[in-house]
Amino acid sequence: MLRLLTVVLLAGVALLGTVAPARAHNVLIGSDPEDGARLATAPEKITLTFDQAVRQGFAQITVTGPDGTRWEEGKTAVNGEKASVAVRPLGPAGEYVVGYRILSSDGHPVADTLKFTLTAPGPGTASQPATDPPPTAAPPSTPDLSAQAAEAAQNGGAGMAVVWIVGALVVLGGATVVALRRTRDREEAK
Amino acid sequence: MTAGGSGTAPEGSGTAPGEGGTAAEGTAPGGAGVATATGPGIGRTGGPEGAGALPAWGLVAGAVSAVLVATAFGAAEAVPGIALPGPLVEYGLPVLRVLLDLAAVAVVGLSFLPRLLGFDDPDRTEPVMRRARPLAVSFAWAWAVLALLTIVFLTAELNAGAVPTPGMVAEYVNEVGAGQGLLFSAACALAYAGIGLLAVRFGEKVPAELRIVIALFGLLPIPVTGHAVESVWHDPIMISMELHVLGAAAWTGGLAVIALLVARDRELLARVLPGFSRLATLALIVVGVSGLVNGLATMALTPGVALPGDLLSSEYGLLVLVKVALTALLVPLAAQIRFRLLPRIERREGTAVAGWAAAEVTVMGMAYGIAVALTTAQIPPA
Repeated sequence: MLRLLTVVLLAGVALLGTVAPARAHNVLIGSDPEDGARLATAPEKITLTFDQAVRQGFAQITVTGPDGTRWEEGKTAVNGEKASVAVRPLGPAGEYVVGYRILSSDGHPVADTLKFTLTAPGPGTASQPATDPPPTAAPPSTPDLSAQAAEAAQNGGAGMAVVWIVGALVVLGGATVVALRRTRDREEAK
Repeated sequence: MTAGGSGTAPEGSGTAPGEGGTAAEGTAPGGAGVATATGPGIGRTGGPEGAGALPAWGLVAGAVSAVLVATAFGAAEAVPGIALPGPLVEYGLPVLRVLLDLAAVAVVGLSFLPRLLGFDDPDRTEPVMRRARPLAVSFAWAWAVLALLTIVFLTAELNAGAVPTPGMVAEYVNEVGAGQGLLFSAACALAYAGIGLLAVRFGEKVPAELRIVIALFGLLPIPVTGHAVESVWHDPIMISMELHVLGAAAWTGGLAVIALLVARDRELLARVLPGFSRLATLALIVVGVSGLVNGLATMALTPGVALPGDLLSSEYGLLVLVKVALTALLVPLAAQIRFRLLPRIERREGTAVAGWAAAEVTVMGMAYGIAVALTTAQIPPA
């Protein structure tokens, strides 16, 4: 038994080298502006710094004003440990909430909020956000057709693989049920 | 695919080995007769399924309730402007994860069963194994399906607000280590199901060690889906984590399977339990030490955590403390079986061992539930 466990463990250690190793949840270690900061001039950009690299492609940062208006502009950019988003010129004075959701290097999404207060009103108006679609991970509702086709071509093969795997599993599962049932019937027939 | 191929093969060529099976099984019904005659009649006659399944229900109920409470306790607060996963994903994912763990635990326990029973007295052990082998195949299937479903739910969690498409699932597996780990685990489970089906047909001619190794192999990628820490201590922590997972699965699975399948037969129980008791003592030490090392090291290496104090102020620290408490609760339960019941069991006396084992397994199930919540808990204090 002990020898068996040793073999399993050694094999496991070898395996860990090939499977991408788990890493920790990313932890926010700093931000610009800082959480709870009181600012007289509006920031042009929100930058969040984590303790380790942020995964590309899934990061979202939002800025929500005192009246619920959204102020971030464009997509969130990821550069190593830093995720940032541009901010339109802010409007009314008051408390702004920065929300974020990033994919940790260990594969878990991490979401949280921080706040800063604008002490003097800026020139921005809230008229813009209607044209500014909220950046979500979901594909936009009216995607460009050519972009959609390109995505389908890119994902089509992999997506079909998923469908094939599910189909194969259904067939194998059915076969297993039949095999188990026949064995039982034969035993009961004895 | 290869796993399934080997799984269906005996069915296709079913007629030929069928004859071999007939000879082997000819002795088995006689064995069943012996077991019923000498075994304690209570287990077999009066409502055996309801009372006999108590440890299994305890395990599942403990795990699911613990994971739901822990998930509600650690529920993410709304972030303005960002779509968070809906309640189906928020609560469904941890429940799926813990059921996946339990299916794997059942497979591991059923794999160890032939080793625990020994091969010297097939007349007595074969009836138990004839119930255990199809169960192992079913649980291996449950393991594989739950692992794949978990991948779909993880994809839905990441792409909050959208229904996952096959393309998104494929992208998730491609991008995230947890997806690859679960896929590997599902493949091991399917391979196990195939080999388990061979064992259903051919009995112990299929080596028990092979099944144990494949089952344990399928467990290895599971910690990849939790978190360890990026540092020079990464590899030692991962090894400690693997020991934790393997030890817990062998302990919980072994105890649950003995309570469910062996406890009714006093003679068999008297042969099996002393050996398992030694294994359980070893497992208690390994699981306890490795768990403490993992929990404390992960916290200590996370920036912004001041250790003794943050055990109480962070979600992760509190869950670690709950697990320590549950492990401490296991000690008297295990000691009761080891020191009070075991001498009487060895004298072939009737005992309430199934009830005590059910209590112990329920606590283990709760520990599994907390473990799942721990993999996604926030480490730094809020």
